[in-house]
Amino acid sequence: MIKKQYNTINDFLEDVSFKNWALQNNGTDINFWEFWIANNPEKNELVNKAKDLVLGVSFNKEVVSKEKVAFEWKKLEAKIQEKTKAPKASKSKVLFLRKFSAAASILLLFSLGFYFLNSNSKITHKTNYGEILNIKLQDGSDVTLNSNSSLSYYKNESRRVWLSGEAFFQVDKKIVTQAKFWVITKDLSVEVYGTSFNVSTKQEKTAVFLEEGNIWLKLKNGADKKMIPGNYISYSAEENKILEDKNIFNPIIKTSWKDGSLLFENLSLEKAMEKIEESYGYSIVFKDDNSKDILITGAVPITNINICIKAIEKSAGVLIVKKENRLIISKK
Amino acid sequence: MEKLTDKFLWKALKEGDLNAFSVLFESYYPDLHSYGLKISKNTALTEDTLQDFFLYVFEHRENLSDLDSIAPYLFTSYRRFLLKVMKKNNKLTHTDFSEDTFVDLQFTAEEIMTEQETTIFKNKNLSILLNKLPSRQKEAIYLKYYSGLKASEISEIMGINYQSVVNTLHKAIKSLKEEISIIKLFKL
Repeated sequence: MIKKQYNTINDFLEDVSFKNWALQNNGTDINFWEFWIANNPEKNELVNKAKDLVLGVSFNKEVVSKEKVAFEWKKLEAKIQEKTKAPKASKSKVLFLRKFSAAASILLLFSLGFYFLNSNSKITHKTNYGEILNIKLQDGSDVTLNSNSSLSYYKNESRRVWLSGEAFFQVDKKIVTQAKFWVITKDLSVEVYGTSFNVSTKQEKTAVFLEEGNIWLKLKNGADKKMIPGNYISYSAEENKILEDKNIFNPIIKTSWKDGSLLFENLSLEKAMEKIEESYGYSIVFKDDNSKDILITGAVPITNINICIKAIEKSAGVLIVKKENRLIISKK
Repeated sequence: MEKLTDKFLWKALKEGDLNAFSVLFESYYPDLHSYGLKISKNTALTEDTLQDFFLYVFEHRENLSDLDSIAPYLFTSYRRFLLKVMKKNNKLTHTDFSEDTFVDLQFTAEEIMTEQETTIFKNKNLSILLNKLPSRQKEAIYLKYYSGLKASEISEIMGINYQSVVNTLHKAIKSLKEEISIIKLFKL
């Protein structure tokens, strides 16, 4: 955040953390900028101009519905197919190609597998409870690995990674290779057209949240699923079904962990403690059932259990005792 | 970050990938729809021209040049496409077809949020003030804050450089602020 010099209005406009401050979006950025502004009074006028430009005019966007877009696409698709000559012949060709490419890709996978077994070492990054790791892959992509997770890939093939646990991916925008980026979990694989998304296998499912760009999910059962920004989908191969498919309007809730904090927004203490359990590896014991339903809102750190406990105690008005590898929660 | 996505999609589209084209369609249709409606003020016309436009893009995909960012191309070409149709339709009734008379965006009071805390304008008549701005400033405001485009993309669409986009936006915001402070003075 602080690397840059802010001399012209564009320096501010191009800065993400500045935008976050102007829109009052992110606590850390707000603190940073309040401090910065207090210490750079000579830049006040520029700051105000830039802030005005960021805020601008707020519109109530009246956007066509998803159903309408889907309908219009069907219409267009029909027209395109109509225009394509000899549709029947080409269809069977496509089918054949599909089968062929499936067979070919299996073959390729096998041969790649052999190839890599022989000549290519596997790299694995692992995190413990209460630990977050930033990894830069060879192709420039950034991965933030959440606690108690592991990410592996073959040395020569860092655009195909295996994940168990949770990670946030940002595929570097400077790389213009045609190769797609793949994330493979026990339930599905994510085929990446676009760039930033979160994948979690922490429960008996794989949950994917797409922040930006476009991605395709290939589920274990063979189905394809396209995602657009804001989509959150979870799928379990064992149950062979999609468990959740919704839109999340506040992406920070799903990705805040990578900045070292868990955000809760009107979440029951029970659910919140599940997250704590995932991050720190403590098992949770509730002494009374009433406490489970207390709603909490706020942020707790992901790498410091003591501060985390204190924050939850304060926010929920309960008492939490750490005993061996258990957190025992009781009324005050 | 969007650039990689756009580049991928564009490349796939040029190779005839319908999946890529559907992603493209779904991500840009809503914004182009709003844009077309703002210009033409006619839903049926907007939707018909959008169908024809996307079909045209797909059919001519092989001739498309390589793009880093798709939005400016789609906005500019769709605008041109739509204007052409509008001009044809109006040929019998109008004699003056300069773009400025066509592309004069109008805002309604319902479209503008003045209640939110983060907004700098809390004035109820903001839409009236907005409509009084020069048409270039209105279009820049629309593309930036309604369509959510980046300044660099707007500069391509409007055919002016990056700095001019920033200046145009700033001029617009500044005169809105001044108008509002004048109104306030008179009320006191």
